[in-house]
Amino acid sequence: MSAAGDLDGPGLAPRAWLVWSIAAVSVAVLTNNPVYRGLVALVALNVLLAWLPPGRNRKPLAIALAVAAIMAALINVLASHTGADVLLRFPEGLPLVGGPITLESLAFGGAIGLGLVAALLAVAPLSLVLEPHDVVDAMPASMERTGIAVATSMNLVSGIGRTFVSVRDAQQMRGWRPRGLRSWNEVLVPVVLTVIEDSVLLAEAMEARGFGAGRRTSYSRHAWTRWDVTVAGSAVAAAALFAVMRLAGVAMDWYPYPTLALPPIHPLLVAGSIALVLPALRRR
Amino acid sequence: MTAPLARIDGVTYWYPGAVTPSLRDVTLEMEPGVTLLAGSSGGGKSTLLRLLDGLVPQFHGGRISGRAEVAGMDPFRTAIPRLATHVGLVFQDVETQSVYGSVEREVAFGLENLGVARSLMHDRVDEALNELGIEGLRRRRLATLSGGERQLVQLAAVLVLRPELVALDEPTSQLDPGGAAAVVAACLKLAGSGKAVVVAEHRLETLLPRADRLLIVEKGEATGPAASRTLAARLTSPPPVVELGAALGWDPIPLSVGEARGRMTLRSALAGTALASPPARADAEPTLVALALGAGPGREAILEGIDLAVAAGEVIALVGPNGSGKTTLLRTLAGLLAPLSGTVRRPPGRTAYLPQNPGALLHWPTVRAEVDLTLRRTGSSGSSDGPDGPDGPDGADAILSSFGLLGLADRYPRDLSAGERQRAALAATLAGSPALALLDEPTRGMDLAARRGLGAALRSLSRRGSAVVIATHDVDLAAEVADRVILVRDGRTVELGPPQRACAAGSAFATQIGSLFPDGPVTVAGALAQVVR
Repeated sequence: MSAAGDLDGPGLAPRAWLVWSIAAVSVAVLTNNPVYRGLVALVALNVLLAWLPPGRNRKPLAIALAVAAIMAALINVLASHTGADVLLRFPEGLPLVGGPITLESLAFGGAIGLGLVAALLAVAPLSLVLEPHDVVDAMPASMERTGIAVATSMNLVSGIGRTFVSVRDAQQMRGWRPRGLRSWNEVLVPVVLTVIEDSVLLAEAMEARGFGAGRRTSYSRHAWTRWDVTVAGSAVAAAALFAVMRLAGVAMDWYPYPTLALPPIHPLLVAGSIALVLPALRRR
Repeated sequence: MTAPLARIDGVTYWYPGAVTPSLRDVTLEMEPGVTLLAGSSGGGKSTLLRLLDGLVPQFHGGRISGRAEVAGMDPFRTAIPRLATHVGLVFQDVETQSVYGSVEREVAFGLENLGVARSLMHDRVDEALNELGIEGLRRRRLATLSGGERQLVQLAAVLVLRPELVALDEPTSQLDPGGAAAVVAACLKLAGSGKAVVVAEHRLETLLPRADRLLIVEKGEATGPAASRTLAARLTSPPPVVELGAALGWDPIPLSVGEARGRMTLRSALAGTALASPPARADAEPTLVALALGAGPGREAILEGIDLAVAAGEVIALVGPNGSGKTTLLRTLAGLLAPLSGTVRRPPGRTAYLPQNPGALLHWPTVRAEVDLTLRRTGSSGSSDGPDGPDGPDGADAILSSFGLLGLADRYPRDLSAGERQRAALAATLAGSPALALLDEPTRGMDLAARRGLGAALRSLSRRGSAVVIATHDVDLAAEVADRVILVRDGRTVELGPPQRACAAGSAFATQIGSLFPDGPVTVAGALAQVVR
């Protein structure tokens, strides 16, 4: 930030950010190997921390990461009853969770959670580092409207938080107390209704300012620097490397069933995952 | 005679599913200059503004009859984006109409939509920002701007399309006096450059004497536009000097304090009249006490060393600029924020709290159901299905009636206008005689009748021993109901004394009546009472 409340640019061209995010997500989903997924998660976290503007709220991301990881691991460990190393046993009569709980299903659930964490961290810069208009600029011309929808959603998110606090406060002072899931209806229903109303008002305001007139132009032109090309190019190369290795039949996936084994590691794929760290080096 | 920019001829409009029309046989013309659009809350002002830029009926649907022409185009059929280059509309809530997060891009959004070449856009953005004198905000994030600055940015965002007609829907309703003055000055400047500027407002004090025309819309029917002085007597929510002039039968009715000052008869009638002493409640045993209070929405205190004592039955008005910490103080007094230092002691019994944008809390099928919910929750017997029924002094009907809501009791709250919704939220909040009522900007979007209803309800609460603290920009409300006025500024509170002193001539929070009679009354009722005496 150059002055209080002033905007800095996003450092990299918005489209370079978008390419980097897509490539990092691709790597995270092209394999279920926890080593590569873990590397992508670490690299993406590094990039995010390097570029996160001061004062930006990290709590919602931290909550999303924790919920995604825990839920994925929990669902797998409770619902998958295969694996040789039994940790404990729920009564068979219990629907879905009844049966053995195994070390292998716990490990595989962890790998799924790690994949979700890596993917979330890979797209996090699009909302936490870029401004909403940068997201629009990053989209290809054919997807401008999607970009606007994303940008406006990003703006609405902070409004949703404020509305939630305001409604919760007001209902609390009218005697509401959180007692079980159903009681939250009295907070969530007004919040959802308000968000819908705000969205309609925003749509109205956008239309009144010519949105939907036809082909749009863009206010900013982000000329690509050599660094943008390097970042985007290396990210694409990393994703391509994973795709090619998969097509070539190189062992890159990991299945811990029936007995737990170490995941396979290929030095080229490790290098490809680490190459995604380039944006963080630029910042430092 | 200048050619009208807009012509509306016999237009009647029903929102989808509505039985009664929101506009009834409206016929009028809009010319360059400032047209002040006044009328009761829910009367059709916002609908009329939306009709000018085609959102009604094209965006909202519904049925419409009659004809209209805006800048030579039919707003019922011409594509809204095409109309956008001729008519600009700034909506009431600055936060919900922002698309981007930065000033420069927000202003440029309309140009991008219309496919304007990038080479031209920068000049057009410069032009719009310069026109409003806010070029210094260009690189700022919207979230860091004050309410007034945000309103000016939204105005720039429509001016960038160079419309001939600019409409603003209650642009000052959420602003402190400084922000409101900046927006009004911008409107006058635009009108001076030959544009037609239509401003829908409840706070008419500043614009009425300076507007070229006044247009009144009540229950969907339009009167005017005509010279402000011609129609001023027909305002249902007149500014205090107009109300005073009308009550005293002055002809012509004064539109400003300056014009009213010429009425020396009244001044001499008041000269030497002793002011009624302020109530002695301030000396009574305090029931709400804050000691050395430090407060903030996060870990950092934005208020420090706050000492506050409010007696049972006392009404306190907190005034101060946007962002000064009034809301934080109210939330801390309510117990919704933990004090960062110091202590807060609340009276035993229920604390009622009205947040900003209180309409957001409404979600039951009827207004009555909202009031009943609070009554049931707080153990009051006056709910519609309670043992005492709704007819008692603390019953649902009494609270609905005090806010003029009996006729709307069976309506879905979210179908009401902004002002009506505000009243419904107030009724739902204040039902059940709370021991402490904390209200954040309770008169936002309210017309005079609703504000008077609120005043009566607060006085009734006060008589029954409730302590009341209101955060407000509405100096007339403060003058009418408060026992003491407290300024919140720079993280501190400053006691300004009773309204007779805080709202008197020379104060930053002077009411029109206070400015009119130095050392005299500060409300219309006060002035009339002394004249009678």
